[in-house]
Formats: sequence, C-alpha cells, structure tokens
Amino acid sequence: MNLFTRRQWLQASGASFGMLALRGLLEAEALAAAPRNPLAPKPPHFTPKVKSVIFLFMYGGPSHVDTFDPKPALDKWDGKTIPVFRAEDASMVNRTKGKALRSPYQFNKCGKSGIDITEVYPELGKCADDLCVIRSMHCESNNHGPALFQMQSGFVQAGRPSIGSWLTYGLGTENQNLPGFVVLLDHQGAPVNGALNWSSGFMPAGYQGVPFRSSGEPIASLNPPSGVSKEQQLARLKLLRKWNEEHLAANPGESALAARIASYELAYRMQTHASEAVAIDKEPEWVRRQYGLDDKVSAHFGRNCLLARRLVERGVRFIQLYSGGNEGPRAWDAHDDIKKNHDLHCAETDRPIAGLLKDLKARGLLDSTLVIWGGEFGRTPVAEGGKGRDHHARGFSVWLAGGGIKGGVVHGATDEFGYHAIENPVSVPDLHATCLHLLGLDHTKLTYNFQGRDVRLTDVSGNVLHSLLA
Amino acid sequence: MKNAFCIFSMLVLASGAQAAPPAAALFEDGVKPILAKHCLSCHGVDKTRGGLDLRTLEAIRAGGDSGPILVAGKSKESLVLQLLTPQGKPHMPPRKQLAEEEIATLTKWIDSLPAEAIARTFSDKEKNHWSFRPVAAAKVPALQDDWIKNPIDAFILERLRAKGLEPNPPAERIDLVRRVYFDLIGLPPTPEEFEQALGDKSADWYEKIVDRLLASPQHGERWGRHWLDLARYADSGGFHNDIDRPHAWRYRDYVIKSLNEDKPFGQFVREQLAGDELDPGNPETLAATAFLRNGPSNEDNMGRDREKYRLDELDDVISTTGTVFLGITLGCARCHDHKFDPVTLQDYYRFLAIFNSTVKKELPLDPKVKPVKGAKVPSLMVVTEDSAKPRTTRLLWRGDLNNPGPEVGPGVPVIFSATSIDFPAPAPDARTTGRRLALADWIAAPDNPLTWRVLANRLWQHHFGRGIVASSSNFGLGGERPSHPELLDFLARELVRQEGRLKPLHRMIVLSAAYRQSSSILSPARDQREQADPDNTLLYRYPKRRLEAELIRDRILFVSGNLNPQMGGPGIKPRIHPDLLEGSQRNKWPLVKKEGPEHWRRSVYIYTKRQLQLPLLELFDAPTSTQSCSRRDVSTVPTQALALMNDDFTQDQAGYLARRILKQAGNDPTKQATLILEVALSDKPTAARIKDAVAFLEEQRRLHQSAGKNADEAGVLALTDLGHVLFNTNEFVYLD
Repeated sequence: MNLFTRRQWLQASGASFGMLALRGLLEAEALAAAPRNPLAPKPPHFTPKVKSVIFLFMYGGPSHVDTFDPKPALDKWDGKTIPVFRAEDASMVNRTKGKALRSPYQFNKCGKSGIDITEVYPELGKCADDLCVIRSMHCESNNHGPALFQMQSGFVQAGRPSIGSWLTYGLGTENQNLPGFVVLLDHQGAPVNGALNWSSGFMPAGYQGVPFRSSGEPIASLNPPSGVSKEQQLARLKLLRKWNEEHLAANPGESALAARIASYELAYRMQTHASEAVAIDKEPEWVRRQYGLDDKVSAHFGRNCLLARRLVERGVRFIQLYSGGNEGPRAWDAHDDIKKNHDLHCAETDRPIAGLLKDLKARGLLDSTLVIWGGEFGRTPVAEGGKGRDHHARGFSVWLAGGGIKGGVVHGATDEFGYHAIENPVSVPDLHATCLHLLGLDHTKLTYNFQGRDVRLTDVSGNVLHSLLA
Repeated sequence: MKNAFCIFSMLVLASGAQAAPPAAALFEDGVKPILAKHCLSCHGVDKTRGGLDLRTLEAIRAGGDSGPILVAGKSKESLVLQLLTPQGKPHMPPRKQLAEEEIATLTKWIDSLPAEAIARTFSDKEKNHWSFRPVAAAKVPALQDDWIKNPIDAFILERLRAKGLEPNPPAERIDLVRRVYFDLIGLPPTPEEFEQALGDKSADWYEKIVDRLLASPQHGERWGRHWLDLARYADSGGFHNDIDRPHAWRYRDYVIKSLNEDKPFGQFVREQLAGDELDPGNPETLAATAFLRNGPSNEDNMGRDREKYRLDELDDVISTTGTVFLGITLGCARCHDHKFDPVTLQDYYRFLAIFNSTVKKELPLDPKVKPVKGAKVPSLMVVTEDSAKPRTTRLLWRGDLNNPGPEVGPGVPVIFSATSIDFPAPAPDARTTGRRLALADWIAAPDNPLTWRVLANRLWQHHFGRGIVASSSNFGLGGERPSHPELLDFLARELVRQEGRLKPLHRMIVLSAAYRQSSSILSPARDQREQADPDNTLLYRYPKRRLEAELIRDRILFVSGNLNPQMGGPGIKPRIHPDLLEGSQRNKWPLVKKEGPEHWRRSVYIYTKRQLQLPLLELFDAPTSTQSCSRRDVSTVPTQALALMNDDFTQDQAGYLARRILKQAGNDPTKQATLILEVALSDKPTAARIKDAVAFLEEQRRLHQSAGKNADEAGVLALTDLGHVLFNTNEFVYLD
C-alpha cells in the first residue's frame, strides 16, 4: 500500500480521530499489526475469476419442477403414483404419498439459449443467457436445519464455518471499513438455525457473517447510543487513543495492543462507511424501479438486492441474501399450496434478481461477481396433501451467473419425474469447490487447523465443475 | 503430504500374504482382467480416485480414503460389490454396468479369501508416541538458583538456560495482584483488598491471597467456565427452533460446585460419564450426566432419519469424551481409520458400544414426584440406560447406516492395550450395562497415560495462556509436541499424588517464579530472546493476555459497583438490542428496556441460547458451544470496538460508575480523576494520567454545558465519558 496516498486520504476524509496524520503512527502500527489483522487481504492460490459472491438464498426450498426443471411427465402422471417415489424420502409422512402433482405453471423458452424458465419468473427469464442452471443438485438431508447447515458449511451438523467465513478467512476483505461477510435477511425474519447459519464455527468470530439491515442503523451498535453526540464520542476516542498509545509506548512491539488501537480507527471509519453503503435512497429513481422498489411485493427483496450491489461495489466479499424467513408459507416452504406460495415468492424476487443481474452487468461488475440462486433443497414432484409439495433432497436446481461462468447453459438432469439427479449429479461440496475455485482458491488447499486436524470446507470430497466454467 | 503415504498400507489381512491358491489363481486369471478393463483408469494407472489403488492385492486390501472396500470371505458385506450393483451409491464404474458374470467372479474371489477380520498393526512410532507412554517419574532438574521457588521453576529455568536465556524479574506487586485475582476468580480485587495487598508487609502476603482466592466461591465460577467450554454447555438445542433446555443450568451449577469443593477429578469424570450408574438416587450425580447431552440437538425437526440422528448425537458424545478426557480425536475414526492416530474404525465402534444403550431423560428432581408430560416440575437433564442388556452395536463401513459390518463389543482403543479393560457382564440385578462406569474407571485410573497429562496441561494453559502442549485437546500424532515434556509429567504425577484434587496444583503453579515474573517485553536481552524463542514458548516472560469475554463484562459490572454476586439457578437474560431480536422470532429472549441487578450477575450465568449469543460475549470470542472448545481464539476486529464504544451496556455502566465516583470523591476534579482511574484499572495512576483526566473532565463539562445541561448534569456526564474511555482502554482488557 502506498502510505503517502493513504495518509492523504485519511487527511482528506477527516474520518480519523487520532493525530496520526501528524505522527504517521497509524501506518507504522497498521503495518506492525498487519499479520494480526485477521481480515487483511490475502492473496488467493491462483488468479481468481471473481472477487465477490452474492448468494441469493431461497430459504425453505424452492420447487425445481416449478421453476427451472420442467417435467412434462408430471402432467401425464398427475394423481398417479410414480415408480421412483420412496416413502422414506417424505418428510411429512402422513401427507406425502407417491402421487405426482403437475406443475401449475407454464415454462417459457427464454433467451437465445432457450433455457426453460417458469412463467412466474418473467423478468428473470430475460436474463436466461447469463444463467448456468444446474438441474442435478442433491444434498444429504431433507430437513431444513441440517440442509441449511450443509448448504452453508458443507456439513449437516452445526458448528462448522459457513462458506462466507471460509472466504473471508481465505481472502480477507478488500474494504476494511465494512465487514467482509454480510447477511441480509428477509422481512419475515431469520431462517431456522438463526445466526448459526452464518456462524464462523470453530474459526475466530471475526469471520462470521454480520447481519445488515437495509434501513435504519445497518449494523448493531454502529452509532453511539442515544444521548451521546458525535462530538462527545470523538472527544472520548481522542483520549482513548492517547492513553492507548502511551500504553503501547511502554510495551513496544506488543502487536496485539497495536492491532487493537487500529481496530478502533477501523470501527470509527466503519460508522461513516457502513451508513453510506446502505444509503439506498441516494440511488436514482430508475435504478430503484429496476429493482422493483416501486412495488410493495418486491420492495423488500429489491432493497436487499440493491444493497448487495452497493456492497459488492464497495469490496464486500460475500453477501448472503435470504428470500423467505421464519417458517412455513413465509418461506419457500410450500407444504400446503405450491401455487399460492411460489406465486408470492417468485413475485417478491423476480424483478429484484433480474434488476440485480442487469445492473451488475451494466456497471461491469458481473464479470467480477458470482451470483448463486438456490435453496437448501428442492420440492417433491409428488403432492403433499392436495396441492403442496414436500421437501426433496435427491434432485433439485440451483443456478450460477457471473464471472467465469458459462451463461445460457443447463448442466445435469433429474430423471423424467424430477426425482433423482441422474445426469452429472452435483453435490454440495462440488458447488462449494467450484465457488472457491472462481475466487482463486483450491478447495483442497484451503484448510483451517481445528483440534490438530487441517479441516476443509469440502471435507474429503468436492470436485470443481470445470465444464461450467467459461 | 507427510501423511499421504498411506497408513492404510499397514492394513493387512491376517493371513493375506498367503492367500490360498484358489483365491490367488482367481485373482490372477479372473479378477485382474476385470479391474484392468473397468477400474484402473481411475484407480491406479494415472490417478487414484478416492485414494483407492486397485493395481495390487496389497493396495486392494488397503482400501481407499473411506476405508476398506472388502471384507475377506464376506462378499455381501463388501463395499465394492455394493457399489457395483445398479443401486450402488456412488455407482461404480460411474457410467457403466458390470456384466453379471464379472460380478460373479468378483463375488467368488472375495468369498474365497480367508475369512479373517482386517487387523490394523501399529508402527513403533505410533506405539511409542510420547503421550501413550506411561507418565514418567520426572526428575526435577538439580539447579541451584535464587529465582527458583518450587520444582516447576527448575524445569522452566533449565530449558531457558539451555537456550542461553534468563527469565524476567518478578512482576510489580500491583500487577501480580491483578493477575492472580483475574486468573483465580475472574474479578479484580475490591479497593479494600487492593490496599491490603499492597500494604501487607508479611513474607507470605502472596500465599495468603492465593489461599483466600482458591477458597472463594468465585473460583468455581471462573474455572467452571473453562470446563463449560470443554463440555459445550448451552441452554438450548441449536438446531431449527433452538428448543430451550430449562434444566440445563443444573449441570452448570454442578460444575461450579464441584470445582469449589475441589472434588477429586476421578470422581468428576465418573459422575459426568456415569453418574446414573454410580449413584442413581443422587440428584447431583444425575445432573452431571448432562455432560453426555450438552451437545446440539434437533429434537423438533428430526425427520425420518431417527437412527442417523441418534448416531450423530452419539458421535458428538464420543468426540467430546475423547478430546476432553483423553486428548484423542476419536471422532475422526467414524468413517475410516484415523488418518494420523492409531485409532481404527473398529476402535470408534467399540467406543460407540459403550454409549450405544444410553437414553436421554428428564427426571424430576424429587424422585417421589412422577413425571407429568408438559407439567413444569424441577427436573434434571439426565443420560441413563433402560436396561442392563446392551443394544447391539455394529461397525458401519464409511459411517454409513446402510453399510453395516460385523458386530462389535465395548472397548477402548487397542493402542492402549497396556491399560486396557474388561467390560464385565452386568450383575443379575443391574439396571444398566455398567459400560460407561467401566470406561470412567479406566479414564480416572492413576496409570492412564493421557488423563492426567491432559488435565495438567489444561490447568497450565489457563494460567499461562498456552498449554505445554499447545493443542490441548489433541495429544495424538497430529497434535503439537510438548514444550516441556518432563514438566508436564511432573505436573501429571502431582495431580495423581493429590488424588486428583486441582487446587494444590493451581497453588503450586501460581506460586512459581515462572508465574510471578513480569510480563514486560522490554529487556536488554530482547533481541536474543526473540531470535531464540519468538513465541515465548520457554516463558522468559509472563505473556500479556486479553481478558476473556465474560471477564470484560464482569469487570465492567464490578467497577461500576453493580456486580450482583448471587450464585446459581436458572440462566439470566440481559438486554439484547431489539434490532437483533427482531431477526429471529423463535428466540424468546425478552425485550429488556432497562437492565437491573437481576441482569448484573456474572457472565457464567448468562443463558446460552445457541442461536442468539449475547453479542458482547460472541464478539470477544466466547465459543459457539456447538463443539467442545479447548482454547478460545483471541481475535481483534472492529466490531468489538463498536460494541464497547456504542452498546448501551457500556454507556449505562459508565453512568453508574460516574455516580459511584461522585459519591465518594465529591466535586474535586483531581479526587474524581484519581479515584476513577484507580477503581477502573486497579492501579495507582501516574500524575500525568491524572492531569489528562482532569483536563478531559473539564473539557467534557464545558461541552455538556454548552449543549444545555446544568452544572450537576454536566459533571455526571463528564465523569461518564471518562469511565467510558476507561472501559475501552487496552489496560482494561489486557492483563500484565
């Protein structure tokens, strides 16, 4: 880093509370503390394709056979028992039998590539040529809790670092004034497992996801408590700085002490930068419209998508954006009525996601960003009750878009009913390995020593899906 | 790559090398051509997918990353044949189906192999691994030096001198007092204790303090927290809706009480692993068994894979028991032989057989009360068994329920055959299998090579910030080597000699000169030291340490005068910012507008909601409690600074501190400044500090008055500002 420009910037920004511009102390300390700053940028293993990831997490489990994996056979078998059904796959034992349920939706051949996309995703359909649809995902659990854990951390058990933590651990963060791993929740609340979904597990807490809100104070404790003015805070911080520096001078070379002084500088700057990052209202009207902010139904997810773009612009490494919260119909968990549920959640997300892809592209950011769409599992091709669908882990769809990804491509296939992933099956570790690869990390080499063992995100499996890479 | 050379190559069929001629002939003429045609392109010639090489008989017997692929003489139990069937998962070969006659040939060959179980042999390196050897009668180095206060110091000094290093001079009394208070009870001295400690002219002033602190009930609160980290203690299930565990706190109280009583460690082990077998009528020993069920659970959303969940939960029990008591990562052998340690798949399942019959129960505290579903009676979270007849345990190849192997009985890892145990058949009137008690007796035996070393090392780690073995829950071949092996053995023997009581060892450690030396980095020999031992492994100075999360919060409350000393009982739920509660409707954390004394208890009593940790604790590296935590991280990130700068908690407590100071010091700024510095940092402030503080108070008073406050209000606010600064200083969170 060029110290001079950094110093100039500090002076210009006026955001520092110390007298460092005069003494040049921060630079010296920051350098001394650099190895101790767990979030400092780190070089990848090889040249990355992308710098950031936006994971659009459709919590609850979106139905693949109603969105990206059309199955005409379900029309033919509607109401009849399909041969591939296995009773042990049902999560709702008494409600899910083997009878096929036809999709309430038509599919459109979209874009030049002609990818099939559900009619309730009309805007997203226009982005078809940017999408690489994987129709052969499978995972290890058809319960929300374990399946969420697996999609986040590779393991169905709790306690492992999530992929966002792995990336911030592996690459650090580009913008020290913002967290490297940000979580944006649905207006319905957090998914099951709560904060454990973005936990850093056995890694230091600095790598965990930081929930951001798209209105009000974006991060907890970002601003001084009520009744404490900015001026008052600045005065406190100046004295703090002076005493901490004197203490450091008496303990020269204690890098932990220097790092902690630097962390207060960062925190102070974060106050300005995080507030600025979430200032969506500063976006022009047409951009806001592009994300669906003019419609009550899509406004919440649209705000989060727009915020995600602003965070990517500002160098945030990993952004996890949840659609659906809490449980049942408030998520994509369409046990009772697939049409009613997916009508709503598709409408909530269609314009925001399409807007995000177009906007990223227009700004040249799509080339350096990986966008992932998917849930913790798919839904059964057979009916639950009359018109719902149950959880389904044996075959479902996700899609990728962005830098290093072939657009307009369909990868893998489920059987004729959409039940088993049969062609080029993709496991969660495969997906994780591919994601790390795009960021320039070899998933077999990115390890963290826990209890004496070098642990991987992909444990002992995972293959990079080279055929999807541009 | 050091482990890439396969440990599996040491797997041999007992009589494999002399396989009967029919099998050998079959292999050459029938099996080899099939392998060459279908398999070797992925498993041998250019690559060895899944770590599996099929080129030679030895390599085939060795198996792949996920373990053996065949069971000699038992084609039905052989993984390889299961994968070749059309239903095989993953199907092999991936895009082909072997012809029936080819499969028949392979079946015939496997069945013709001598029906011996696969036996793992151990290399000398494994058998002689330092921590598996008996604890040696360590000879205290015969050093004569005034620095030496007890045998510990002789070990330390010998190693330092060997590197040409000398230890630091003793710490200032004021620093040592603070250090030993935080270390032994997790709190600073009261002002009276502080003055007394500084003024005591007797020769044994320090010993008196140490003995008083070790006898204090706050010692159990402090050291109990260390054990709760290991025991992954929490008050909720973690998964899905994070179901509350309203009776979990009885385990926490059991731990604190046990440490305060200085219960012999052997007893502590027996109660936690087998309290129900040891003394089934005793609520305290029953409460201890929650150790076996503190891990995360998914009771509200288990789905249909009940058996898998049951085994996952037992895996947590096995892993935790192995790492906590033995420093062995047994959990690594669930799917295949341990990659680094001489622990086999069979060892894992023998260990499973010890716990496999356990059930979880909520038993009424009063045994005369009949449990009523849904009714709220004081209860205990217990692990016990329903019958003396054990549940059958089968080995699972690759840890896969659909891939069961032979039946196994209870046992400890074979590598420990020297101290191995029999699991006697239960007595005719027994109500449980007795297996856990037998295991606990083995662990607690004085000659167990691991138990006492692991325990001594844990104590050392918490006193010095780093263990003699840095990987304190991994004493295996993949773990760190001890920096002072003889000292560790000496300490382990001390523990055994004291019949497993911890307090004598605590006392010996904190009375040592090594512990009492200064933490100063400044030394004429600094360059030499940092060159010879940059990490201070040899302890030429006491390491400067950050207070743990709980201690930071407790210190703030102590300093503000608000710490409520009430011990025990159900967990407390301090204020969490409403925005954070909003994120999750499942967390029934109350909305606290204003905190009161009921919230201001020590942090060890905070309700551990797995999905909603108290942010201040979480940010300062309190463990997530999903797995046993043997050593906390010490991370430094800006969100910690934000929390201490901006959270209502620090602001409120700074306000209480201000009023406390005002009451004692009146309106004299110098008196105020002196007192607040002294109280907050447990230190004697310098004149320069006092001058800074007085100037700051003056400036802040002006600031608040110009914002429209009257003189009295401005005075309190200025002191609040100063208190707030002190809570944030490095001196407040780092200990000399």
